[in-house]
Amino acid sequence: MSVKNFLPEQYESTAELEINHNYLQGQFSDFQDILQKIGGVVQKGDFTLGRAVGEFEERYAAVIGTKHAIGLGSGTDALFLGLKALGVGPGDEVITTPFTFYATIGAIVTAGAKPVFVDTGEDYNIDPLKIEKVITDKTKVILPVHWSGKPCEMGLISEIAKKYDLRIVEDACHAIGASIDNKGAGSFGDFGCFSMHPLKNLNVWGDGGIACTNSDELADKLRLMRNHGLVGRDHCEMFAYNSRLDTIQAVIADHLLNKIDHITDSRIENASRLDEGLSKIKEVTIPPREKGRIKQVYHIYSLLFERRDELQGYLIKHGVDAKIHYPIPMHLQAAAKKYGYVRGDFPRSEATANTTLSLPVHEFIGEEHVEKMISLIQRFYK
Amino acid sequence: MSDKSVPFVDLTRQFKDLEDDFVDIFKSIGRSGQYILGDALGSFEEEIATYCGVKYAVGVANGTDALVLGMKALGIGVGDEVITVPNSFISSVGAIMNVGASARFIDVKNDLNMDPTKIKSAITDKTKAILPVHLTGRPAEMDAISEIAQQNGLVVLEDAAQAIGAMYSGDKVGSLGVLGGFSLHPLKNLHVYGDGGVLTTNNKDVYEEVLLLRNHGLKDRSTCVKWGINSRLDNLQAAIAIRKLEVLDELNNRFREIASIYREELEDIVEVPVDTEREYSVYHNFVIQVDRRDELMDYLQREHNISTAIHYPALIHTQPAAKSLGYVEGDFPNAERIVKRMLSLPIFPELTKDEIFHVVSAIRQFYK
Repeated sequence: MSVKNFLPEQYESTAELEINHNYLQGQFSDFQDILQKIGGVVQKGDFTLGRAVGEFEERYAAVIGTKHAIGLGSGTDALFLGLKALGVGPGDEVITTPFTFYATIGAIVTAGAKPVFVDTGEDYNIDPLKIEKVITDKTKVILPVHWSGKPCEMGLISEIAKKYDLRIVEDACHAIGASIDNKGAGSFGDFGCFSMHPLKNLNVWGDGGIACTNSDELADKLRLMRNHGLVGRDHCEMFAYNSRLDTIQAVIADHLLNKIDHITDSRIENASRLDEGLSKIKEVTIPPREKGRIKQVYHIYSLLFERRDELQGYLIKHGVDAKIHYPIPMHLQAAAKKYGYVRGDFPRSEATANTTLSLPVHEFIGEEHVEKMISLIQRFYK
Repeated sequence: MSDKSVPFVDLTRQFKDLEDDFVDIFKSIGRSGQYILGDALGSFEEEIATYCGVKYAVGVANGTDALVLGMKALGIGVGDEVITVPNSFISSVGAIMNVGASARFIDVKNDLNMDPTKIKSAITDKTKAILPVHLTGRPAEMDAISEIAQQNGLVVLEDAAQAIGAMYSGDKVGSLGVLGGFSLHPLKNLHVYGDGGVLTTNNKDVYEEVLLLRNHGLKDRSTCVKWGINSRLDNLQAAIAIRKLEVLDELNNRFREIASIYREELEDIVEVPVDTEREYSVYHNFVIQVDRRDELMDYLQREHNISTAIHYPALIHTQPAAKSLGYVEGDFPNAERIVKRMLSLPIFPELTKDEIFHVVSAIRQFYK
């Protein structure tokens, strides 16, 4: 087998398209500011776990509404280290959704545990009513994923966790700024895990992640685990890992955190316009929104479309970078073979994967782009 | 107290030398939006593979991960043992424990590196690999280690985190075992401005497996053939590393030049490190072995503003983390003797002649 480095394509400026998912080249109108801030790090020379990391962590915790935030190497590491900090390991089971990004499952498996899947609901998130059925005496953690930036039903999930004495790790990688009744996604569980991958609502210029928690003990443990288990320079309390948010990346994240409200609001506004414009097309299914109670931040704006693949081709041909997040659910991946799931086990997730299509809604998408997308889709189904 | 001062290390000096280039890099990568697994990373991987004389190199998140991913690719895990040394940075052992294997320590020689004559007695039927550390930038005795490995069906994993550019019998470290793990941490001879690491190998299977594992086990955007992790050298850091790789030999020469001045000026009063005929050390650290070490360290700081360090003051087998491995003080007499006598002197390419001789004369004064 040969492994192709396929990722750069994802970031290439698709100049021939008018409406792109990737907006990174347009992100910095205040480029000099950020260079100056990076210069400050260089002057201090504190490139790993430097002062700026601590400052950013404090601000981030305040945004999410937790006592602590710990900057890490990536969102995957946040999930993995969160599970490890809770003592998850071989022989344990972690309940999660098959409709997610690979890293969710990679983190569980790397911790040595077994992923146990539960089908999703209409909102693409784990269906809380199906969780109890798969709880065994090996279950340690429920790991809900706030897919696309829509928070899961954390009230119900927390009740189940309490009833069976399970811990909760929230995969909030898509969900900075999302909330239920004004309580931030990532603040409900033992850990809330966030990614700052370049395409996230809050991004850095490389890989980065952050884990939030209200527990002093878990925060201490995570700080130990991200830095080789070292207490001070010379005292190793536990063999652990190297997973640190670079100081330079913390500076960039901190800079962008100033704009997160604008980023989120733009996404919500674009999503609302698209919802409205597409709601009358019978071939399009919009998931329940529950505005008011639930704030979703549309890291991904995806709906279910009949003749999805055809529509994707049509949109791309007409200059819209329509993407599929993602076409094959986790239980049907080659990597999941040994868990013995088959097609048909999670009908809702499978149907979602077969019909989902994402449209760009980021802050550089304007009203005219939204209208163009709506009229293209209308024309396609006419 | 002296008005001169000598820092143990000063990263800003190298930045200043190459500042315009780095600002250009920040600008161009920043503006490109290509932050993950981009073109700069691909170029860096090719260049460093060539530099180390191997077929393949993979940029990963840090030096620890290079070893972790390498061991995973080789199938080293729960129930396996890996032989290594107790006097390294903690992550050499952290990496072994990460994959679920167990570390078996053996003693070191006077040059701080693995003593090959001790390997045999540590081999059990669980042993899978030998992990020598090229400590301080000095290559371990690779011919003896490789021979024992071969005789016993073991693989050799090089912890080359401190030794980029070092050579053994003319061959670069990282090309001598089945794989080499390098760190690009800011304090390394070849470094970036954050965390970074590289794995080198001539083994195509290892290479392809690590490519998969570092990127979620993805064969393409939609197909996950194996659950993996996320461990990628940032494209931005790769671009910085490319610029630094251009001057690495120059920098390493300077490390060696400073080492030889220290050696010449101090060898009559303290034990200094020396290259054997086969070794080309890059002196990431210059470690002398002395009597009254703590007193000397204190004297240099207090009376002469000279910062020194100890790499590393606590041996790994005596760390609280190692309790379950069952070692006790006394198990590794050589390492335990040296750890009380060693001192790392300031050494970095931009150290001035004045500063070097300030260190020399202060040490001479102490032992007068």
